[in-house]
Order: sequence, then C-alpha cells, then structure tokens
Amino acid sequence: MSDTEVPMGDIAVAKGAHNLITSGVGSCLVITLYDPKLQIGALAHTMVPSSAKRDTQFGQRLSTHFPSEAAPPRQASLVAEHVSKKTKETKYVDIAIDQMLKGLVAKGAKRQDLEAKLIGGANMFPSIASDDIGKDNVLSAKDKLNAEGIRIVGECVGGSQGRSVEFSPTTGIVTVKVKF
Amino acid sequence: MGNKLQEIDLLNQINEQAAQNASRALSKLIDRPVDVGISKADVKRVEELSPLISQEEVVAGIYLPVTGDIKGAALLIFPKETAFTLSDLLVKREPGTTRKLVELDKSALKEVGNIISGSYLTVLSNVLQIKIVEHIPNFSFDMFGAIVSQIITEFAQKTENALVIELEFLFKPETLKGYFLLLFEVEQLKAMLGSVGGEALKTFFVDFPESTESN
Repeated sequence: MSDTEVPMGDIAVAKGAHNLITSGVGSCLVITLYDPKLQIGALAHTMVPSSAKRDTQFGQRLSTHFPSEAAPPRQASLVAEHVSKKTKETKYVDIAIDQMLKGLVAKGAKRQDLEAKLIGGANMFPSIASDDIGKDNVLSAKDKLNAEGIRIVGECVGGSQGRSVEFSPTTGIVTVKVKF
Repeated sequence: MGNKLQEIDLLNQINEQAAQNASRALSKLIDRPVDVGISKADVKRVEELSPLISQEEVVAGIYLPVTGDIKGAALLIFPKETAFTLSDLLVKREPGTTRKLVELDKSALKEVGNIISGSYLTVLSNVLQIKIVEHIPNFSFDMFGAIVSQIITEFAQKTENALVIELEFLFKPETLKGYFLLLFEVEQLKAMLGSVGGEALKTFFVDFPESTESN
C-alpha cells in the first residue's frame, strides 16, 4: 500500500503496511502514537502548543520577539473567530493528541498500551533565542501525554534542524531524516 | 470595490520602485552592475505558501522581523544552488566554487536580505505613510518546509495572506531566482490600510482572493 503524507496541522490514523510520512518539520512537532498489540498508529503534525492559550500566547510571544516594543492589546474574539474559520484545530498539540486518542480508541486501541514518540520542535532561527515555539510545543506535548497517562518511549527534538518523519504502524518504528 | 486596473498599477509601481532601489544597493555592495527584477508578484493564502518549493528542498532563508505601525515578517528564500552561486558573486570567489556556506557567506546573504527587504519596505512605508521598522536578519540553511513553517506558525493566527514576490537577479550573464515573502498581521493591516485610504492595497493584502475572483 502507498504511504500517506500528513500535511502540516493535520493528523492521520493508520493500520498495516501503510506508512505515515510528513516532511519539512521545523518548530512544528510531530507526535506518533502506537499500539504494539493491535499494530495501529497515529501521527500528528502540530504547529502550536495549546488551544487554551490561543488568545494570549501570540501577544506574549511577539512581545518577547520584539523586545524593544510592547505588544499591542489583543483582539481575542477576532483572533479566535479567525482561527476556527480558517485553520484546522488539530494544529494545536493538545487537540491533536485528543483527536488521535479518539481515533485509536475507536479502532480498539487501549490507552495503557499506547506508546508516544516526539519529533521536531526545533528553532530554525536560533539567533531569535527568546522566541522558541518549538520548545513550547515539546513541553505542551509532554504535559498533555503525562496527563493522559501515555508513555513517551522516544524523542528526537530541539536543536535547529529541519526533519522529515516516516512512521510505520506495523512496527512502530519512526525514521527521522535530516539534511545535515 | 475599487478600480482593479488602478490597484494593479499601484502594486506594479511599488514593485518597480523597490526593484530599482534594490538594484542600486546591490550593485554598490558587490561593485558591479546588478539588475533586480520582479518577475511575478502574487498574493497567496498562507496555507498555499508551502507548495512553492518542495518541503525537503534545502534553501537559504533570511528572515527579518518587521515592527512599527504594522507587525509582520519578511522572508527571502534562495534554493541551495542559487545561494552557492550568489555567494560566489558576493564574496568574489571563482564561479562554481562555493559548496558550503561559511560565516562570511551567511553574512553576505543576510546583507542581501537586508537590501531586498529594506528596499521594498521603504517604498511601502512611503506609499502608505506608515512607520515600518525592519529588524536584523536571521539566517537558516535547511529544508524549505521547516523554515517557512516556523514563520507561518508565528503568524498563523493573525495572517491570511502573504505577498509572494518572485525575484530575478540579473548578474550578467547569470540570472538567479529567489522568493521574497511578506506577511503582515491581518487585523492591524486592515485598520492601517483603512486609515490611510489604501483601498487598493487592501484588496491585495486582505480581501484576496474573493474580491479578485468576483468581478
């Protein structure tokens, strides 16, 4: 069977010889969940840490991004409306994990059997040190997975490298490719 | 809606003026005539930026945060081989000899980013009569997808459209191509363009593509 490419902000659930792939992962975070008993898995290509902080985090982020200037007051309702209208909710780490769990449990997976791996969360522009969205993505994923009682069995995160990911739902093996 | 021909004219004028400024500055930098041309200027939805170049292709990305009356990002992208050729020219090496970017090359490419972005933003700032501050350039040499997604992520919630400018650098006899991307926060931009009566640009930056499709 052919592989499935998971676009940025999206998730996919797969079983059997049907690898899930995603490429060009920078500050984004790829999360894989695998059930070794049933040999099914899910992959998420998330972009931002948390849906709960969506109205304020970008204001704070920009104020650290441009330290010389104070962040303008946020128009929270406008931003939230814009998000729900234009983009997939699964770009948020926490929502993506919820959705993957839902999809896997619907296919018979048990939470206690699931193993998680994290890939990405880099900072492609390390000269902007104060603005590490990649790190926030990793922290958010760890918090969420801990809260859900899911074990993290592997990670390849941080640094300033782009990564491409291939995940086999048959073996649970995650292959990470870098350019340098 | 406004007169479409006028709108296109205005964007063309901005492009032309910016290209002239950039040509002058670049020629001075490398001490030989360079002609910067804009072969294509498009407004794309942010989510359409990814397919510009294949996700895994290695590119040089020069990113400049933009502040002032509007916040945003300027990003200049050169495919790997173009970045190498450009480095040959910028640091005056034998053509075809750069196979790896060292600090000197990175600085030179960052300076090109400064020039392109500065030329464009100066014109934009004059036309719209707003304050635009461009910050120091940041450099990355890696997968296109990884670089562009980080910038998109910064603005994912507040930007719908990006101005995508395809640049041609004519260093006779060589023509090098790169992309210059401008992203602005949409709500701020809307307010700003409204207040200065920049209806023409508003159509391009904010209302695209619906308003250009209907007609």
